[in-house]
Amino acid sequence: MADVSFQKVRKAFGSAVAVKSLDLAIGSGEFVSLLGPSGCGKTTTLRMLAGLEFPTEGEIRIGDRVVNAVPPGQRDIAMVFQSYALYPHMSVGENIAYPLKKRGVGRAERDAKVASVAATLQLGALLDRKPRQLSGGQQQRVALGRALVRDPKVFLLDEPLSNLDAKLRAHMRAELIELHRKLGKTFIYVTHDQLEAMTMSDRIAVMHEGDLQQFGAPMQVYEKPANLFVAGFIGSPAMNLLPGMIESSGSGLAFVRQGLRLAVGAGGQAGQKVTIGVRPEDIALGSGPFVATVRIVEPTGHETIVMADIGGQSAIVRVQPDTAHVVGSETPFAVRTSRLHAFDSVTGARLDLAFAPPAS
Amino acid sequence: MSGNPLDKRYAVLGAMLIAPTVLIFCAVIVYPLVSALYLSLFTIFTPTLRGSFIGLGNYAYLVNSPEFWRSLWNTLLWTVCTLTLQIVFGVAAALMLHQNIVFRSLARSLILFPYFVSTVVAVLVWRWLFNDLYGVMNHLMLMAGLIKMPLDWLGSMPNAMISIILVGAWKYFPFVVIAVLARLQTIPDALYEAAKIDGAGAWSRFVDITLPQLRDVLVVVVLLRAIWDFKEFDLIYLLTGGGPIIATQTLPLMVYKDAFGLNDMGRASAVAVSMMLVMLSFMVLYLKLAGRGERESQP
Repeated sequence: MADVSFQKVRKAFGSAVAVKSLDLAIGSGEFVSLLGPSGCGKTTTLRMLAGLEFPTEGEIRIGDRVVNAVPPGQRDIAMVFQSYALYPHMSVGENIAYPLKKRGVGRAERDAKVASVAATLQLGALLDRKPRQLSGGQQQRVALGRALVRDPKVFLLDEPLSNLDAKLRAHMRAELIELHRKLGKTFIYVTHDQLEAMTMSDRIAVMHEGDLQQFGAPMQVYEKPANLFVAGFIGSPAMNLLPGMIESSGSGLAFVRQGLRLAVGAGGQAGQKVTIGVRPEDIALGSGPFVATVRIVEPTGHETIVMADIGGQSAIVRVQPDTAHVVGSETPFAVRTSRLHAFDSVTGARLDLAFAPPAS
Repeated sequence: MSGNPLDKRYAVLGAMLIAPTVLIFCAVIVYPLVSALYLSLFTIFTPTLRGSFIGLGNYAYLVNSPEFWRSLWNTLLWTVCTLTLQIVFGVAAALMLHQNIVFRSLARSLILFPYFVSTVVAVLVWRWLFNDLYGVMNHLMLMAGLIKMPLDWLGSMPNAMISIILVGAWKYFPFVVIAVLARLQTIPDALYEAAKIDGAGAWSRFVDITLPQLRDVLVVVVLLRAIWDFKEFDLIYLLTGGGPIIATQTLPLMVYKDAFGLNDMGRASAVAVSMMLVMLSFMVLYLKLAGRGERESQP
């Protein structure tokens, strides 16, 4: 059963449309990330769910209740803000207790719940401190505590890790996964960081310019991007997108562009403009039917990223760290045709093209 | 200090740079202060500035003078009442101007008007409004049926005191508006949003978020305005002249009357020194409160 659902939800600020027509159903207990570049509508979507913005059109449900006109405090949600939004004049304990206090929970019960949340988040020793006396990671935990203490149906998290340094972010990521597993509640997580979305989510909703581009499990989004935007956005380094054309080739068809010619086994028609997508790890330098020119070599330790010129376009290739590549040299390469993606160059939609393995 | 010649040159430069400030400070603060203390020990005829030493005689006179105590009471009453009104209306206006109301920028500039207008001009206008024969106030109140006879706004008690308190509040509340509005604009929206999600209603958000955030700025505003209101001279002098008789005479008016009306510079100085002592207590309170704020912000 869906715990949270958006039905044809549209949000416009004056003439600027932030969310176009969103249909999204999130299951109970799921961890869903709303992922996209800034301005894609992900935060507006979350804020509409929180009740901080109201949809221009459409219906938002939490459980089986339409919440369009329900004030934020009565939606049975809790939210963690990017800035944490801790009340600066209240101690950690008072911050965590505040939502209970506003709901008329008695002092004894309040103290017990705060103590239990503080124990979960290892905040016990900090309850009397003021937020400004805490480190970023501790403030983050207090913000989580304030959300946890109410035991809401849905947790909303708005880029909660973006103000932390890289090491702490990795640590908090693990803690959030653990917390979600322990609570079994619905988490909706807004981020522009695909690493966070990929590692933590059950499903990812990729958004762009107010439109939902794809909604699926992390590996599904990675392996089968629904369109050119998702293909270019998911993956780091990004997928190489090489525009070309389908041409007749002997008895069959082939994808052709400068410096590259791949036989098409199934699908496609001659004259169609197609962009193929190939992940950096699916190009093998060293041997193969095509030739690339090495431009830049970036060793990162566990792997080496090579930027190479393929038929006039620069492409990124991921290679083993022990292979040596000389800048400026020409090197043969092959692509793993079984892992190629193809998109319609005009509409951007994913195409069902099968590429024949190279005749060796 | 080490013997490094560069160090010495920097030290000399430093002394030279602060010298003008020190000299001006001595000339306009230390000298008048010391001479007020000195003069208060004499009985001095103002036009000639000659007189004889009487020790603490002026102070002894003041302690036994009902006029002094009445003036002190008037000063405190005026300060407390006008300040309270300034704060209440100042905060209310600032909250209103912080909302997305129509003509917000226009309203923001207009509300500063009383603060910009010269006191003399403002008082002349108010004296006409309060005039018992031709004043608009009486006219409107008669029309509305609130009063049956025209009121003497400035010439009888308690009307005169109420009038100066109201005009003082009108004149100086924009200062509170500016200070509070500036602070309101720095309170992050996320705090209010978090409170909404935590279930706080409008009143709760005001009490739990806005007021605590305004606390520091209100401490400063209250103390600054308290000191300024305590010293206020021109507004009261021009509006009632301290009258009827001495019913609205505050300490600054008494200083003026003693010094230039009764030509007794010595006694005037003694009143001024007493005023300073009262203000010193404001100062101590201020430093204490400010100190407490600082301690709280330390880990």
